[in-house]
Amino acid sequence: MSPVEDPESDLTRKQRREQARAQRKAVEEASATQSAQRKRLIQLGGIAGVVVVIIAIILVATGSGGSKGAPAPKSPAANAAAASVISLLQGIPQNGITLGNASAPVTIQYFGDLECPICKQFTLGALPSVIQKYVRTGKVKIEYRSMQTATRERETFQTQQVAALAAGKQNLMWHYIELFYHEQGEEGSGYVTESYLQGLAAQVPGLSLSNWSSARNDPAYANQVISDAQAANQSGFTGTPSFLIGKTGGSMQKLENPSLTDASSFEPVIEKLLKG
Amino acid sequence: MSRRALRITMIVLATVGLGVASYLTYVHYSGSPPVCTAGGSCLKVQTSIYSKLAGVPVALMGLIGYIAILASLLAPENETSRFATLAFAIAGFGFSAYLTYRELFSIHAVCEWCASSAAIMTILMLLAVWRFLRGEAPPYESPHVKPAEGPQAAHVSAS
Repeated sequence: MSPVEDPESDLTRKQRREQARAQRKAVEEASATQSAQRKRLIQLGGIAGVVVVIIAIILVATGSGGSKGAPAPKSPAANAAAASVISLLQGIPQNGITLGNASAPVTIQYFGDLECPICKQFTLGALPSVIQKYVRTGKVKIEYRSMQTATRERETFQTQQVAALAAGKQNLMWHYIELFYHEQGEEGSGYVTESYLQGLAAQVPGLSLSNWSSARNDPAYANQVISDAQAANQSGFTGTPSFLIGKTGGSMQKLENPSLTDASSFEPVIEKLLKG
Repeated sequence: MSRRALRITMIVLATVGLGVASYLTYVHYSGSPPVCTAGGSCLKVQTSIYSKLAGVPVALMGLIGYIAILASLLAPENETSRFATLAFAIAGFGFSAYLTYRELFSIHAVCEWCASSAAIMTILMLLAVWRFLRGEAPPYESPHVKPAEGPQAAHVSAS
């Protein structure tokens, strides 16, 4: 018996070795593929997790509805503001941007920014006297015009002013702007969120929210804000509140830096126009 | 779908998305109202308080996102470039989901341009996940070569 194996059995052993090597290679390759696939799934999960966390942070940061610095709708402060506004405007006709009788002999154009704290001082201070003394009696009508001053973002300004103008489609714009000024938040605190605007709308008595929402899409209101800005620019106004006053249908004169607390700046001008 | 076809499909989608985002960015900075069949919905979305994030227009963010996706698709294909496409596409999809949520539940208006971008980004994300999980193409297997015999073996033994 020779220890040397015949070529046939040698070939078989070689084939077996190759077979075993191929099997080992296949197992190694399968294992490597599995490991790579596991690694990819972990990477995919990691990326998805990071994106979910970032989006959650953005959602919280941009506000899920809460408003900073402004009273929450239906809070005692908001209810008090609504009661005061309803009482002030009760029985006074409104038509779009105009408060007062359409045939009033004198017209005041009030250029304001709903986030402007000085406008708030004026609206809560001097304006009620003008309304009670001249608007309620049919002598003066007031038109509200938009002019961006305190609001930092153009988009926010446009959105809030259009929200007010859209209430004018139901002749309730003055309720909306009065409520806005009464419940105005801290300047620059980002309190004007969609839910803040909707919360104000919900406080306007008799306002159909669905009609108000669809009116907000009307491009005419966005264009109104733009044309108001042009009018303010043409008049050379640099701040709010600013006013144009004159006989209805006649030429208007500028009235800037009025008293914020009483009607003393308006009374002499209005009286003169009424007499003249 | 072959790897090449998948890549080309994604490049086409990213290019269309880039076009949409470029238009929305132009509209944002020009101040002109976007062309929209749904009344003033696009204008309402475009001028809403959610049209900017930290002072940066979201349309510009979308534009940058599509550029990043396109760049990663045009880069030589390997594990890193596929991962980059995946990361950008998932981030874009997440951001689109956030904006769609804002349109539906905060602004109550849907901008068709934004919706089409969200749809493109969703398809891109799904394709990017598929492409990433598929990994490398299997190595090219050369045809089995029969071991040399006869004269070659004789030649070897002779040397």
